[in-house]
Amino acid sequence: MADVQLTGITKTFGAVTVIPDLNLSVPDGSFTVLVGPSGCGKSTLLRMIAGLESPTAGGIRIGGTDVTDAEPSDRGISMVFQSYALYPHMTVAQNIDFGLRLAKVPAAERAARVSEAARILSLEAYLDRKPGQLSGGQRQRVAIGRSIVRHPEVFLFDEPLSNLDAALRTQMRVELAQLHQSIGATMIYVTHDQVEAMTLADQIVVMKDGHIEQVGAPMELYDRPASEFVASFIGSPKMNLLPGRAIARDDVKIAGIRPEHLHIESEGQWRAVAKVVETLGADTIAYMDAEGLGEITVRLPGHIRLKAGERLALSPEAANLHLFGHDGRRMEHSA
Amino acid sequence: MSRSHFWRNFARVAVLCVVASFVLAPMLATALGGFKSNAEIRMNAFALPQDWDVSFYGAILADPAFWRYLGNSLLISTGTVALTLLVGAAAAYVFAQIRFFGSRMLFSYMLLGLMFPFATAILPLFIKVRDIGLLDTYWAVILPQTAFGLSLAILLFRTFFEQLPKELFEAARIDGCGYVRFFFRITLPLSTPILATVGVFVFVQSWNNFLLPLVVLNSREAFTWPLGMMQFRGEYVTEWNRTLAFVTLTILPAIVFFLAAQKYIVAGLTGGAVKG
Ligand SMILES: Nc1ncnc2c1ncn2[C@@H]1O[C@H](COP(=O)(O)OP(=O)(O)O)[C@@H](O)[C@H]1O
Ligand SMILES: [Mg+2]
Repeated sequence: MADVQLTGITKTFGAVTVIPDLNLSVPDGSFTVLVGPSGCGKSTLLRMIAGLESPTAGGIRIGGTDVTDAEPSDRGISMVFQSYALYPHMTVAQNIDFGLRLAKVPAAERAARVSEAARILSLEAYLDRKPGQLSGGQRQRVAIGRSIVRHPEVFLFDEPLSNLDAALRTQMRVELAQLHQSIGATMIYVTHDQVEAMTLADQIVVMKDGHIEQVGAPMELYDRPASEFVASFIGSPKMNLLPGRAIARDDVKIAGIRPEHLHIESEGQWRAVAKVVETLGADTIAYMDAEGLGEITVRLPGHIRLKAGERLALSPEAANLHLFGHDGRRMEHSA
Repeated sequence: MSRSHFWRNFARVAVLCVVASFVLAPMLATALGGFKSNAEIRMNAFALPQDWDVSFYGAILADPAFWRYLGNSLLISTGTVALTLLVGAAAAYVFAQIRFFGSRMLFSYMLLGLMFPFATAILPLFIKVRDIGLLDTYWAVILPQTAFGLSLAILLFRTFFEQLPKELFEAARIDGCGYVRFFFRITLPLSTPILATVGVFVFVQSWNNFLLPLVVLNSREAFTWPLGMMQFRGEYVTEWNRTLAFVTLTILPAIVFFLAAQKYIVAGLTGGAVKG
């Protein structure tokens, strides 16, 4: 078991600084998700932790040991790639076994570890097949199996589910959560999908342009986004970001309100016309046009019937307004 | 099947037949010529022989010299192939995998070899081989052939290696696999199509090479088959039937080698490595 400490990590490719001076602490045994739009440097950061890329400046410690210059195989980590990266000419068993073989683990122990991994990932029936004969989900399981058998202290995942279809993605998400519970190792998981981040993480790291916007538990980020960017990134449907004049304040650049914190009231402050109404059963999502404020999304109870073109008045729950100043950072309520 | 479809297929088959006949007709004439009398060869080169006279084939097969020429050729060709594949692949692997100072320049320099005509080099080559003291040995043929085959081999190998997914190497590195082991355990097994292609090419070139063995091999003991054939021609000045039978028999190993390699010359072996 091991924690991961990044101090002053900087990465430049030629003249381009991808990550400027980043500090991050990943607690032992946590499931930490790095999330952010594509191109923000998540993979680069993960690859530096893995040792596939070396930082231009700064240090990496895993479990208290400085591994900044250590070989990937000496760091006690394993990594699952977005593209699986299985060895195509080897069987599933050989793929899973390869790292153990190189580490000169005794044959009996190797066999035991491979069959244990196969059992955990339900791969027993496929051990003699080549990767080419497997479905996408099975391939991803083999890639995870290859990580498990090495008994690493830190698991690294780089968008492992993004090549799978939606149903399989949901299923694998659950399996990954179970895996984390049963193994208890530290996991660092990269994704651009905030739903994966919210469902899997116990610590989310929101990144933008190579720096960290906010670190926190999923509900902390949801309830108290530290910046306009985090507010817009976390949550689905997205938080409504309205101009400050919506609440008649000049010092506020953006007033954010989540769709479920808006209510229909005859005395409501904002008038809006419904444009599209999605009935999801438990909820009804209405995409509306608010007078003078632009688009606004409202989440209503499922039994409410609303038609496109209907005019309504909306009012926000004052306690759940998120105010962001002109620097884009969160302002505390002072109303 | 629609009419236009039929005619398109028909045209395709017809063209292929014509092309195939350009290759097959001389080969057939060669094989059949080995059964004919010299007079018949001159009059009816492409017809079936009037009498199937197997004595020429028989005489060649019974001649220990023939087997020695064949053995020499085989040794030299397989040696050239093995050396070219090993050295070429290793060099190409370095060019594809490792960025080092001057790698582009060195690579371009290697490619210059593609434009260097073999015949021009023959005299300096002979002097060099003589000075090193390799005359009349297999190495006198194997080493220069390998050197001249390397440019093309490295070019083809490097292109192929660069197309192997980068993540494979990264995954292997995390598994604790270094450059050398990765080359033997992952790169080479995944490169059988290009290894087979280059192998066939090099083998056939070496098998048919005449000029180099002529210059560097002097003793009959070391002769390859094209040199051996010249000896036959010297002995039986007008006996084309013997020469044709000889050629037919020497082509066979090359064909066998090709058939064995052919099944690896299929792309798509990397299926299932990444994505899906
Ligand atoms: N090897 C490299 N050379 C140059 N630029 C790179 C390299 N790897 C990544 N980058 C750049 O770094 C930025 C971050 O990339 P990446 O970490 O892959 O983003 P993410 O995984 O968040 O989508 C991108 O702008 C990308 O173009
Ligand atoms: Mg990425």
